[in-house]
Amino acid sequence: MTQGNDQDPYIALHGLQKGYRMGGEAIPIFSGLDLSIPRGDFVAVMGPSGSGKSTLLNMLAGIDRPDAGTLRIGNSRLDQMGEAARSSWRAHHMGIVFQFYNLLPMLTAAENVELPLLLKPLSRKERRIRVEKVLDLVGLAGREKQYPAMMSGGQQQRVGIARAIVSDPGLLLCDEPTGDLDRTSADEVLEMLRFLNRVLEKTIVMVTHDPQAALYARRTLHLYKGDFVEEKRAA
Amino acid sequence: MTFFDLARKNAWRKPLRSLLLMVCIAVAFLIYGLTASFLAGTQGTSAASDDILGVMSAGGRTQPLPMAHAARLAADPDIAALAYMTRLRGFVAAEKNVVAVSAADPERLIAVNGKGLGLTPELVAAIGQARDKVLVGRALMEAQGWTVGQHIAVTAFDVAKRDGSRDWRFEIAGVFEGENAASDTYFIIARYDYINAARARGKDTVDAFIVRPREGVPPGELAARIDTLFANSAAPTRTQSEKQFLEAFLRQYADIGLIVDLVVGAAFVTLLMIVVNTMVFAVRERTFEIGVLKTLGFSRLKIMALILGETLFIFAVGGSIGLVLAKLATVFASPALGLVFSPPIAAKALMIIAVLGLATGALPAFNAMRTPIIKAFRTR
Repeated sequence: MTQGNDQDPYIALHGLQKGYRMGGEAIPIFSGLDLSIPRGDFVAVMGPSGSGKSTLLNMLAGIDRPDAGTLRIGNSRLDQMGEAARSSWRAHHMGIVFQFYNLLPMLTAAENVELPLLLKPLSRKERRIRVEKVLDLVGLAGREKQYPAMMSGGQQQRVGIARAIVSDPGLLLCDEPTGDLDRTSADEVLEMLRFLNRVLEKTIVMVTHDPQAALYARRTLHLYKGDFVEEKRAA
Repeated sequence: MTFFDLARKNAWRKPLRSLLLMVCIAVAFLIYGLTASFLAGTQGTSAASDDILGVMSAGGRTQPLPMAHAARLAADPDIAALAYMTRLRGFVAAEKNVVAVSAADPERLIAVNGKGLGLTPELVAAIGQARDKVLVGRALMEAQGWTVGQHIAVTAFDVAKRDGSRDWRFEIAGVFEGENAASDTYFIIARYDYINAARARGKDTVDAFIVRPREGVPPGELAARIDTLFANSAAPTRTQSEKQFLEAFLRQYADIGLIVDLVVGAAFVTLLMIVVNTMVFAVRERTFEIGVLKTLGFSRLKIMALILGETLFIFAVGGSIGLVLAKLATVFASPALGLVFSPPIAAKALMIIAVLGLATGALPAFNAMRTPIIKAFRTR
């Protein structure tokens, strides 16, 4: 693990290599990917299927490891961490929003949001206060006791966002967060992400196929065959 | 919500499946509770003493010992109290209604084992009022529905009176309760002088001497010394503790403990296989969600603990139901069955619940712990 300083980018990838083996054949995904994202940025990553978007997100989330190269987020070298350390890092530094929400069906909205807090040394009361606060933030106050099956897609995704931010992580990773939503719900979710970025200063990396969604980001990176080919900054 | 709540909610995701598992577990622990209570109770061995010695004929239970042995035993300074008794087995009214009578000197019996039998000076005084008076154990009294003062007739199987009759008439003088619920009270205490005077054969013989060693004297050493004392006599002895005697007596018919262990063991092995199989499938169905939990930061150990907590919860609920049912059965069962659900049985059952809960959860927990997140996400 290396130490960073304020001048360093928050996310730094250098010479990142990653490949998979399929039927004995090596399939390279990244062959020396570089990326720098400053703290507080909101980056949309777009690209066709197979371009490496999900692989990049998995590595940023610490659920997959690069074959070579360095991957630093904040002061943590994820490429050098073991599984237990990466679990702990995820619990404390990262929140993730999934395309299909991935809420646990037997838990209420409040309990789903509370899940990451079970990993922190907080009292029951402290956990409840935090859960109420984030549910209020995402506009779901009063729906604490509702189960996911009783909620619309947009509401479920807001629960997913609340779960991602309840631990107050610096980094928010979003995997096609509007991919399962209608336009209105999608815009509400994207507005919320923009609010989290602008007001709460969360660094956000969002993988999306949706050009409309990418408009909410500060910059958009286009990934093609494992490399960034284009960068657009929001006006 | 707590970590335990999460495990509990996971367990209740498929209520019918969890309920059926709990029923299986409850039945297995009901079987365990009843069989263990049967062993501890009816057999009377749990309450039998390791300290009180029974001196019997080395030739077998049916061979009597001469009363003359009493004087030589009484001369041993390591013997604190000495009693003797002869047995009479027979039936009351119907042949299948078998009862056992132990004929003894009540004064000596209270000195040797008054506490274990629950004998009081009042009871000894009551039986002393007339030669045909008897004391009846609480379990037998309730099973037969007798009352104090009632006259009963026991038709002996093999002890005839001098007039050729085998009908022994007694009057119930009192009820002895035993030291605790595990004590064997399913028999009658009669007076030795009455039986001895009236019987046609075996006069002045006894079936056993009962010895209470002096405090601090190892019972095993005293037993060996007694047997050595009579080794070269016309009636050599075999001395055992009360507990050893009862266990050996029961083994004459079958090793009930082994049979019970095999039955209970088979039930638990079957249970283990059913629950492991069900839990493996239950956890496999949730592989994707385990991937989600790992992504949120749940470590491999926490995932393992979550699944072990789930199986422990199912076992704790099912096992507790089974044990409560077993306890209720022992409370409401006929005293003749002598079922005793003692705290050690409950403690052992709780230990088995914990061990089986962890054992059945181990395989699915290990599988879940090892599944990489990316592989888990591919299962949807």
